[in-house]
Amino acid sequence: MNVTSVLFAFVALTLIKATPIAYAALGGTLAERAGVVVIGLEGMMAIGAFASVVVSNATGSPLAGALAGIAAGALLAALYALVAVRFGVDQIVAGTGINLLAIGIAAYGLTVVFHQAGASHEVPALGTNGEIVLVALAFACAAALHLIITRTPWGLHVRACGEDPHVARIAGIDPMRTRFLAVTIGGALAGLGGVYLAIGELNLYVDGMTAGRGFIALAAIIFGRWTPFGALGAALFFGFFASLQVTLQRAGIPSELMQALPYLAALVALAGFAGRAKAPAADGVAYDGS
Amino acid sequence: MRFTVHAGEIHALIGENGAGKSTTAAIAAGTLAPDAGTVTAIGTVGLVHQHFALIDRLTVWENIVLSREPRRGARIDRDAAIARVRALATEHGLAVDPLALVGTLPVAVKQRVELLRELAREPAVLVLDEPTAALAPVEIDAFFVTLRALAARGTAMLVITHKLREVIDHANGITVMRRGAIVSRREAATTDANELARDMVGGELPALAARTATVAGTCRIAIANLATEPGAGALRDATLHVDAGEIVGIAGIEGNGQTPLADALAGVIAYTGTIALDGIAMPPSVTPAQRLARGLRVIPQDRNREALVASWSIADNVALGAHGSRFARGGRYDRAAARTAASAIVRAYDVRSGSLDARTGELSGGNQQKIVVGRALAGNPAAIVAYQPTRGIDVGAGALVQSRLIEARNAGSAVLLISFELDEILALADRVLVLFGGRIVGAFAGTAIDRATLGALMAGAV
Amino acid sequence: MTLRARLGSLRDLGLAVAIALVVGSIAMLVAGVNPIVGFSSLLDGALGNRSELGETLIQTSALLFPALGIALAFRGGLFNIGAEGQLVLGGLAAGTIGADLHAPALVAIPAALLAGAIAGGLWGSIAGFLRARFGANEVIATLMLNVVAALLASYLVNNLLHDPAGQSSETALVLANAQLPVIVPGTRLTIAILLALAAAAIVRYVLAETIFGYELRATGEAPEAALRAGIDVRRTALLAMTWSGALAGIGGAVIVLGVLHRFNGQLSPGYGFVAIAVALVGRLDPLPITLAAFAFGILQSGAVSMQAEAGVPREIVAVVEGVVILALAGQRFLGARKSRVR
Repeated sequence: MNVTSVLFAFVALTLIKATPIAYAALGGTLAERAGVVVIGLEGMMAIGAFASVVVSNATGSPLAGALAGIAAGALLAALYALVAVRFGVDQIVAGTGINLLAIGIAAYGLTVVFHQAGASHEVPALGTNGEIVLVALAFACAAALHLIITRTPWGLHVRACGEDPHVARIAGIDPMRTRFLAVTIGGALAGLGGVYLAIGELNLYVDGMTAGRGFIALAAIIFGRWTPFGALGAALFFGFFASLQVTLQRAGIPSELMQALPYLAALVALAGFAGRAKAPAADGVAYDGS
Repeated sequence: MRFTVHAGEIHALIGENGAGKSTTAAIAAGTLAPDAGTVTAIGTVGLVHQHFALIDRLTVWENIVLSREPRRGARIDRDAAIARVRALATEHGLAVDPLALVGTLPVAVKQRVELLRELAREPAVLVLDEPTAALAPVEIDAFFVTLRALAARGTAMLVITHKLREVIDHANGITVMRRGAIVSRREAATTDANELARDMVGGELPALAARTATVAGTCRIAIANLATEPGAGALRDATLHVDAGEIVGIAGIEGNGQTPLADALAGVIAYTGTIALDGIAMPPSVTPAQRLARGLRVIPQDRNREALVASWSIADNVALGAHGSRFARGGRYDRAAARTAASAIVRAYDVRSGSLDARTGELSGGNQQKIVVGRALAGNPAAIVAYQPTRGIDVGAGALVQSRLIEARNAGSAVLLISFELDEILALADRVLVLFGGRIVGAFAGTAIDRATLGALMAGAV
Repeated sequence: MTLRARLGSLRDLGLAVAIALVVGSIAMLVAGVNPIVGFSSLLDGALGNRSELGETLIQTSALLFPALGIALAFRGGLFNIGAEGQLVLGGLAAGTIGADLHAPALVAIPAALLAGAIAGGLWGSIAGFLRARFGANEVIATLMLNVVAALLASYLVNNLLHDPAGQSSETALVLANAQLPVIVPGTRLTIAILLALAAAAIVRYVLAETIFGYELRATGEAPEAALRAGIDVRRTALLAMTWSGALAGIGGAVIVLGVLHRFNGQLSPGYGFVAIAVALVGRLDPLPITLAAFAFGILQSGAVSMQAEAGVPREIVAVVEGVVILALAGQRFLGARKSRVR
């Protein structure tokens, strides 16, 4: 093994580890730019992963599985948007409920669908080519999201709702509708992150397979200063540490401590950037319709 | 209630706080539905908001075209939008830079952006809610010149305000409201400020407490070269002092350093320069708790956010600030003592509420402010900083608050009154200092105040 | 607490039960189980006899500690979503001391509980410190710290603290003197439930009657007003997170000392997250929280027999709890979130 191939393997692993975080962070960025904090990204990833496995198993088509995963993430996000946007409940608490619900549904569903707890059996997966497409698509999504947020009328409306929904309302925008849509699209992206984990990188669903990636994505949003390219960069940064962990683990360093590396990196990033980066002014603030 | 505004007219709607002016404005502009009755307008109605309905982190052009963006395919046609804003600004003689971020603009320019946004919709009627609240006197005159020009082109103007002077100077018809109803209809040309004030209050203005002679010369608050973190509205280099037994008024337009001044004295922001109380220095490391213990009390501007816990009872709120001293017994909170103190304030300040257990969030602004002021003045404090002490409260409660400040002065407290209401400062202060751009730019003794000079100083025009 | 608020918390409890019935029924129908059969086996399994009631009260105590901790932090305006990690580390610390300290019960039990409180408290204080010092969002910090805590506990138990005589991923058996005494013969119910009730009473007293509680509530409800009233809001936030973590840590400790008698991977089926639902249903007020902990205790302990007898996967509990949290997140319990002091 020469240096080039080691380097190549490391870069490839970084991309692999960064991709699911990137999807969730991009989805979360869109939602937060509209003023909604999505603590439930983790749950949306989990439900996306689970749905993709179930549908891929039932239809034999991993593509159908991928679409189902996206739809499941969007559906769960729509439920979240219903309570957090329409009914204006506390976003942190509701997001925690979404996580518990999604992980519960997946665990319950495992037993109901696959008649076994802990993990599903193996299902048709997207394969290496599919995985590469999903990695590339994450970059394309970041670019598309950047253009949508900065260049389109809807993107301007999203930013307006994230800064001040009351002013947006006065200007003639419906903040609830805008936020609802942003959260739902964000959930679809997070679902795609789950799809990548379940039938991109692997070919089955395992309880707890999202392993806090949705939470790292929340840190990536802040670290990326609420911009799509920033979120992508932050995801790559955390992917680097995840890749480092795998590489060092192969070298025989105790695994648990190394596994903690990306989370510790996220904590440090959170503490280092919390003061400097500025969130959208109405991020996490419920809009009451007035 | 019933009134009409004609094309080409600047009509003023006046009344004291809580009379129903803003509600009327919102109904007229269609942002609030009336419980009964109708509003008829020939054409569309625009509303210029008291606290600008602008988004600081968007540019001027984005704010103006928001929800009506010119498009090119799926994208915003940025060039067309900017050109549209430029044309609009030129047409109305309101100079703005379309590419500037709104948050970086001075208040007077934000006002122009707000006006342009409404004008872009070509309204037949323009409702302006307290449009001059944050403008300097010269800016106010310029603003009304603009309004007069718009009126001349056929727009009907409804200006909602509590500033009688500018109403008389600039309006045509005047409608006076009190407690949700119209009480009189006047013509600017044939009325005067006293008549309007009597209409607003429903009788004579309540008298203020008498000022007694005090012994001058004992400095209690000494501030030298005070500066806060640079930025819009920062304090740059303020030097002033307040003696025992005097009220020093800080006159100025909002955003010239008033908030940092109050916050630095309260000890909640960092600062350079010196603050001394009764000769003892108070560097920034002196905590708010220590400042309270030394007898420095700050009545903050925003009582709901900075002074009261809305979900708490009157009694628990009265304890706030002295909860660790007067109302503590060991580590326990002495609720009974708080109730006793609260009932004293309720009696002395005529706080109208069902009981001491009423939540302060459910009280009127005037009653809330009586609690805040009563709490701050308890126990003859050495120094009082009153920042906009009568903001948003009715005339009766305002007069009571002002009288209590005068009585505190009579009793030997040093009172620093920071207010955007020049009339309030002129009515209360023994000396007046003008704050502009974070510096004290002028000083006047109580008897020799020339309104015009003061106004010019406030606008920085010296 | 006013009568209106008390009625409100009763209404919330009723609402939670109604939601649990509806969502649970749907989930059971999906699994092909008659909901009546499912729920009756759940209730029977939770309350049917003395031993089962004992198990339910064990679950109640395991939930009550972290729920009280969460309520304490929430009342101070801080979202401690990290009770799970605090609980795990508290359990590990208590298990380690309990297995190592040769001392009479009157010393060993308090020492092991204290170890749990300190471990949980320290873990909670990390998020409190990051928040107070750097303004780091405590929600994301505690979420991250949960994962790190699980990994840290796993590392410690696999490498440094494992039972030399037993399996690799558990600590040694807690010495008899450090095991919590059983209070009802024929059950596994220990003094843990009494300790939990005492903790509820203490938290209630601290919140309602002490200066610290007063300052905590002021900081949570109106941070700007608290700051100007001379309250050290950063210190209060740090203390709130520390005490919150300590309570969760004791929760982990009583499970280890009272039920498992050693630390292992079975410590928590997510008590730290379920406790959020408990705290919310109890409106962040210790007395109703105690009732809510009992209600969720029924769910937790009944789920096991429901799985065995009616064939309903026990994971149904998480689904029901998630929906309950979603439904109850709407109550207005904090005025502070819009205007935090950094």
